Amino acid sequence: MVIPGLKNNMINNFKKDCLKRFTSNGFPTRKEENWKFTSSRNLAKFENHVEEIPSIEHLNIDDNTLLFINGILDQGSLNNFKFNDKLNISDLDEITDNSILEFSDNFNEDSIFNLGISDFKKGFYFKFDEKLIIEKPVKIINYYKADQNFSRITSFNIFHVQSGSEISFEENDIYEGMSSFNLKLNKFFIDDNSVLKFGKFNQGVDQNHQLSYNYFTMKKDAILKIDGLNKQSIFNKEFIEVDLNDSGSDVNISILNLGKNNDHLDNNILINHNSESCTSFQHVRNILDNESSAVFNGKVIVSEGAQKTDSNQSNKNLLLSDTSNAYSNPQLEIYADDVSCGHGSTTGALNEESVFYLRARGIKKTDAIKILIKAFAKEVVDEFSLSSIQDISEIALDSWINEQH
Amino acid sequence: MVKIKNLEASIEDKKILKGIDLDINPGEVHVIMGRNGSGKSTLANVIAGNEAYELDNGSIFMNDEDITEMSIENRALNGIFLCFQYPVAIPGVSMAYFLRAALNAHLNHQGKEEIDALEFLKNSKQILGELGLDDSFLKRSINDGFSGGEKKKSEILQLLSINPKLAVLDETDSGLDVDALRTVAKGVNKFRNNNNAVLIITHYQRLLDYIKPDIVHLMIDGKIVKTGDMSLVEKVEKDGYSWLEE
Repeated sequence: MVIPGLKNNMINNFKKDCLKRFTSNGFPTRKEENWKFTSSRNLAKFENHVEEIPSIEHLNIDDNTLLFINGILDQGSLNNFKFNDKLNISDLDEITDNSILEFSDNFNEDSIFNLGISDFKKGFYFKFDEKLIIEKPVKIINYYKADQNFSRITSFNIFHVQSGSEISFEENDIYEGMSSFNLKLNKFFIDDNSVLKFGKFNQGVDQNHQLSYNYFTMKKDAILKIDGLNKQSIFNKEFIEVDLNDSGSDVNISILNLGKNNDHLDNNILINHNSESCTSFQHVRNILDNESSAVFNGKVIVSEGAQKTDSNQSNKNLLLSDTSNAYSNPQLEIYADDVSCGHGSTTGALNEESVFYLRARGIKKTDAIKILIKAFAKEVVDEFSLSSIQDISEIALDSWINEQH
Repeated sequence: MVKIKNLEASIEDKKILKGIDLDINPGEVHVIMGRNGSGKSTLANVIAGNEAYELDNGSIFMNDEDITEMSIENRALNGIFLCFQYPVAIPGVSMAYFLRAALNAHLNHQGKEEIDALEFLKNSKQILGELGLDDSFLKRSINDGFSGGEKKKSEILQLLSINPKLAVLDETDSGLDVDALRTVAKGVNKFRNNNNAVLIITHYQRLLDYIKPDIVHLMIDGKIVKTGDMSLVEKVEKDGYSWLEE
């Protein structure tokens, strides 16, 4: 089968294989480990495709921003992008190196990942120059606007931070228009002695579903920091998989999820320690009110040769209502014998003693509750590597708390 | 100033306080002593309005105002201050933020303007110095990682900053070395004046070597069974409590 519009056999074959796997397996069921606590049933309803290119005149796009409209890079923003002379961009149709398109078994076996690869219209490979230092975070705006309900909008892009570089991305998704299922696939290469800071702020819109797959491969002495804030989404599931393929690399993932009403927020994180002397740290906090729910599915695999691994997973859940739910599943698989690995999970309501303590100093009960919620969030927000994401998070948290209490 | 009449209270259907009467006048320091489980800390918590306890009977008046049904925060705003036996740690909330929020709650209640940051820092640093604490104490999270002595000094810092009418010290002397005990006592003595009062709950005489009480109460099984002067403390130190049951 040849999929129309594709020049290149490599991507064509990849898409064909993925379509075959998706057609054979269909949408995942709860029997699958990665989908145990999140139903994919509603995703199947999103079959329409966006036809019209939406207007972007109202968006504030400066020369530090890469804009993606319904998953596809906007050429105008690229032309205006101040670092475009330090960036090599290839259409994924033109990729001839098969390794660029390689993903993990975990992703290859995930049915919706296969759907995404078979479904995306146009993607790009962004290769930044070596030894490139960009101090101010590059903004990535994903603008989604569906022109009919139950639209599926799929994107696939690859970013490559070459050796000796330090680059930050600040990703913000904007949703307008009709209901959509936004399926986002990204791959990141982080080469020797380079740093990628990736901050994400995702505020959903009623009836919109967000699902993302982010795959990172890291070389020697590379550093990856992921800051994430997710709020207000009926369905937000994010896969993060990191391969630590060479010694001395370090990944630090800090995520805050704020759930209310029927929000469902799911973080599925897999760290593969494939080499020695690497460190990884995962810290996910969920604050859940009303009927909302959150999932933490975090796994660290330390392979046989990955001695001197230092790894920690922490998931803490604050339940503000009797009807909110947190599913926590931290896992460790260790095949090396000289490692330091820890994991922990706590779930509970606000501490009544703490509320009493603050009230006993004259602070109103509602204010005491707000202070304690902010304090719970602060511990993960303080770990964010990008001050801009910290600032956004504090404002978003304040408004979220004030809406709720 | 404070009148407690026939106070009865329970927790999880277990009656702890079985009819407490207590009159505390301005300028007085009262001490309540008793064995573990006699109800001393329950009394302190019930005065502060802790909702974990069920009030079965009786009343509490503060300056002729019935505060029996008053919320925890309104009791605090009306002048009641509980020095906690086990102050809870609250990671993520700095002492400075907390203390200023508490002070401003009191100032708002009194119809006064909120304290500005500079004045707050100046006042706080002066008290910190008197308690032998570094200015950086204000940046730390509430009681998080504090030593036993630091926790109790933090309570005294709050006491001196808020300057309430009645300070209830719930076993503030427990877990302190002699230097910390002296510092805490110095803070309480600094707080004392003719317009406020102190209620000390303790097991031991040693705090009372530094804070001289006016009236001593002995408590057994949820009741005050004996009231007197400092000589009662000496008798308890020597003979324990069993003579009260004979």
